[in-house]
Amino acid sequence: MSVRDKLSAIGETMAIGDSESSTEGSRIRETIDAIIRVFRGERMAQIGGVILLSFILVGLFAPMLAPYDPGEMNRGEDGELLRLDAPSQDHPFGTTNLGRDILSQVMYGARVSLIVGLAAAFVSTVIGTNVALIAGYYGGTVDNILMRLVDIAYGLPFLPFVIALVFIFGSSLWNIIFVISLLMWRSSARVIRSEVLSQKGRPYIESADAIGASNLRKMYIHILPNVLPLMVLYMAFGVAWAVIYEASIAFLGFGDPSMYSWGTIMFEAYSTGAIRFAYWWVIPPGVCIMLFVMSVFFIGRSLEKITNPDLRH
Amino acid sequence: MLSIENLNVYYETEEGDVHAVDGVNLELERNETIGLVGESGCGKTTTAKSIIRLLATNGRIADGTIEFEGTDITELSDRQLRKQIRWNEVSMIPQNAMNGFDPVYTVGEQIVEVIRAHESKTSKNEAWERARDLFDRLGIESDRVTDYPHQFSGGMAQRAMVALALALSPSIVLADEPTTALDVVIQDRILRVIKDLQDELNSSMILITHDMSVVSETCDDIAVMYGGRIVEYADAETVIKEPRHPYTLGLRNSFPDITQDSQELISIPGVPPDLVDPDEGCKFAPRCPFAEDQCWEETPQPEEYGENHIVECHRADEVEHLQEEAKKRETWMAMKDDPNAAPTKDVKDVKDVNQPADTLQEGSHDD
Amino acid sequence: MRKFIIRRIAYLLLTYWAFITVLFVIFRMTPGDPTTMYVVEGMTEAERQATLERYGLTDPLHIQYLNYVGDLLRGDLGFSYRYNTSVASILIIKFWNTIFLMATSLLIAYSIGILFGAYLGWVRGTAKEKGGLLLALIFRSSPEFWIGIVLLSVFVFRLGWFPWGGIRAIGAEAPVGFTSRYFNREFAYHLFLPALTGAIYYMAQPILLMRSSMISVLNSDFIEIKKAEGLSPTRIVYKHAARNSMLPMATVIALVAGMSIGGSLVIETVFSWPGMGREMVESVHHNDYPMAMGAFFLMGTVVIFMNFLADIAYVYLDPRVRYD
Repeated sequence: MSVRDKLSAIGETMAIGDSESSTEGSRIRETIDAIIRVFRGERMAQIGGVILLSFILVGLFAPMLAPYDPGEMNRGEDGELLRLDAPSQDHPFGTTNLGRDILSQVMYGARVSLIVGLAAAFVSTVIGTNVALIAGYYGGTVDNILMRLVDIAYGLPFLPFVIALVFIFGSSLWNIIFVISLLMWRSSARVIRSEVLSQKGRPYIESADAIGASNLRKMYIHILPNVLPLMVLYMAFGVAWAVIYEASIAFLGFGDPSMYSWGTIMFEAYSTGAIRFAYWWVIPPGVCIMLFVMSVFFIGRSLEKITNPDLRH
Repeated sequence: MLSIENLNVYYETEEGDVHAVDGVNLELERNETIGLVGESGCGKTTTAKSIIRLLATNGRIADGTIEFEGTDITELSDRQLRKQIRWNEVSMIPQNAMNGFDPVYTVGEQIVEVIRAHESKTSKNEAWERARDLFDRLGIESDRVTDYPHQFSGGMAQRAMVALALALSPSIVLADEPTTALDVVIQDRILRVIKDLQDELNSSMILITHDMSVVSETCDDIAVMYGGRIVEYADAETVIKEPRHPYTLGLRNSFPDITQDSQELISIPGVPPDLVDPDEGCKFAPRCPFAEDQCWEETPQPEEYGENHIVECHRADEVEHLQEEAKKRETWMAMKDDPNAAPTKDVKDVKDVNQPADTLQEGSHDD
Repeated sequence: MRKFIIRRIAYLLLTYWAFITVLFVIFRMTPGDPTTMYVVEGMTEAERQATLERYGLTDPLHIQYLNYVGDLLRGDLGFSYRYNTSVASILIIKFWNTIFLMATSLLIAYSIGILFGAYLGWVRGTAKEKGGLLLALIFRSSPEFWIGIVLLSVFVFRLGWFPWGGIRAIGAEAPVGFTSRYFNREFAYHLFLPALTGAIYYMAQPILLMRSSMISVLNSDFIEIKKAEGLSPTRIVYKHAARNSMLPMATVIALVAGMSIGGSLVIETVFSWPGMGREMVESVHHNDYPMAMGAFFLMGTVVIFMNFLADIAYVYLDPRVRYD
């Protein structure tokens, strides 16, 4: 077993609590209960939940909430283009060099972060969990090959790789999601595999053996529910990382040109040189990224306390 | 030399204050060894650790004084405590020596560290020399001072821990179940080593254990603790041969007596009491086969029976009857089935009492 | 021990080979070739063919692959379309620019992060700990470009204390020689903000890790003995508890050092730092594959080597670890 099994998660040491394995259905219910408990008892998770919920609402209803079309070049009463207008009543976050309303752009930007975050986290965790189940369950050569694949994925520098692929496949939103997922599965695969290994030795698998359960059944009906909390945790952190990656890609100029992502807004502010003075163009998208990611981390950390009782003190 | 008066130590918990130590008095003379005996959670470890104020963050000395050669330890500042008392005058030997050492430094480095922390005049070389010398006297090859803790066997690690504990020739050594983790043969040897060195250094010792057979050989006096109080105190022989408190009688039944060849071991049914904001009454009453109405209502006060023999029990004067009855298994077993004997004040306890809890036999529980 | 290292080296070679192959595949798939951007317009089909041949782009793929691997083994990273010179000669300088930037960032991040994290573990349960945790989470939630832009706005545009970007004053000649290039005040002055950006971003991890690691170490028996020994709290925290909590940290430092190379793209772009990352971004924009591929290759090499070091460091540093 590699050292990094114990240390992945790009952050904390995460070891799942040694909770007694129980029947499948109740394990899923326990997981849901745990998530509810997180929101009940933890101040951090509550704050995170409220922030995240507001972003979800803004994203969903952006076309209704946004005062202007984000691409519209607004003109003043004299017919002049409102270039780099400081915040005013008409434009609370000011305008861009092309007279576009920044508030509206930021509202639409929430959609990109939500879609990329959720989709990439979901896809990568599903890939990672499947790799982990197969590697951990079959062991031996299968495990070795899959773990070397993980090693290779870890050997690729993340952003350069993503940029190269986005460049090849084109910078559409779905390509960005695909490419982020293509590397992000590595951390969940590694950590969940360790958990699968420890689950495999538990008595409930022996009893499943005894009644002649098939491999697939043991993997997906018996083991999967027991690694579910860890999977949920990785999905939460995955959302945060995917949002940061998308923003970084967009900031480097490889974002989807048809959409207003927070990263793209900052890329424009930066590349036009407006960051020298146009604070209103930079602060809103920057703060939004920060708050969005923070809200997910808050929820993730509280989830982690539930899955890892060691941290509860 | 050391005088503890009316010591009260509470731990703050969500359910309320746990009265872990509840009015303990104890005198320790130079070169004397006192055994603190009792089950897990009776307050023996807390009592000992209070002497160097080594309590968990939620613990506090709520009342009482601990005088060491005229200074009240409870009054010292943290710094004074660190410089003057800890290790210099009072050191300790933990239950599991292996975990008592920092795994990333050699044992020698750790002995040298504590010497140099307290004796600024001692040079590094002198400190290393002393560490070697201590190893030698404890029967470990002196070259092993440069070994890491994980390179020692359990028994050797315990000897190394004794070396650490005696490095500053302290006045008092607190030994918390120092041999429980070891096998019997090694236990004996280590105890003898500790005793010899203690005599040589003219140190005193407080030996904490749940094991009656350990204290009987090693200690001058024995204090039997139950529910945060010393329920019986006397010289070792008296406590072993002529105890008056029913708890001591029960405790004695549960350990093999070396003077008798065949003896039936009987354990005391039930579990230690809940010490959160305790009510009046003898704390042992729920498990005591001799409990009367008075026992439930009135906390017994210490009474002296003969020289230096103190007992807290309303029925201690019926000693012959108690000693006779306590030898019989039926006396204790009757407790299990008698619903009236169970405490009525706390439902949680009723449930626990009905479980066959051999807490004494299992050994090595942490307090 | 030896067996463990040999196995790890075998894995290293395997990973490295796979990495090189991935690299080859990626850049052959890239749209466009040198003639679309760098060759004078109006060239005839024959001239175009000649150019492609010169770059070896008309050979069958497997030949291209073998040539490519062979060249890499000889240290030849190819010829840049854009600079019209060898990739290696450009990248060698940019490589060190990136290494100096990221090494400084990580050095600051880990030295402060470890001490601060150890402190948070020691004061757990207090308001100080909560505040510290919040700060770490804020750092961790901020993408590098956002931190960089905030620092730029405050220290450059508002206060004017630091230069906007670059590695030395505009128009200044690069000093000759490795040491004189990097060890001078001008370089340090330009390095400060970009390095601080990286330091802030990478600091959260050691803080959080050190804190949780400390909390579990502080519950060990030996810490109680050290307290009983009358050692001072500072000594207990930093000499004993922190030292024990550092064991997993060594591994993490190596891993993060690898990862941070990829992150240098963003910081270098914000501060116009002439490093590998920025070079790669620009080369991709300009269809200069050999250059982009060379930068990617160097960055991947660092990552893979650091991952390898992380595995080895773990078994070397902990006297208790068994190798199998």
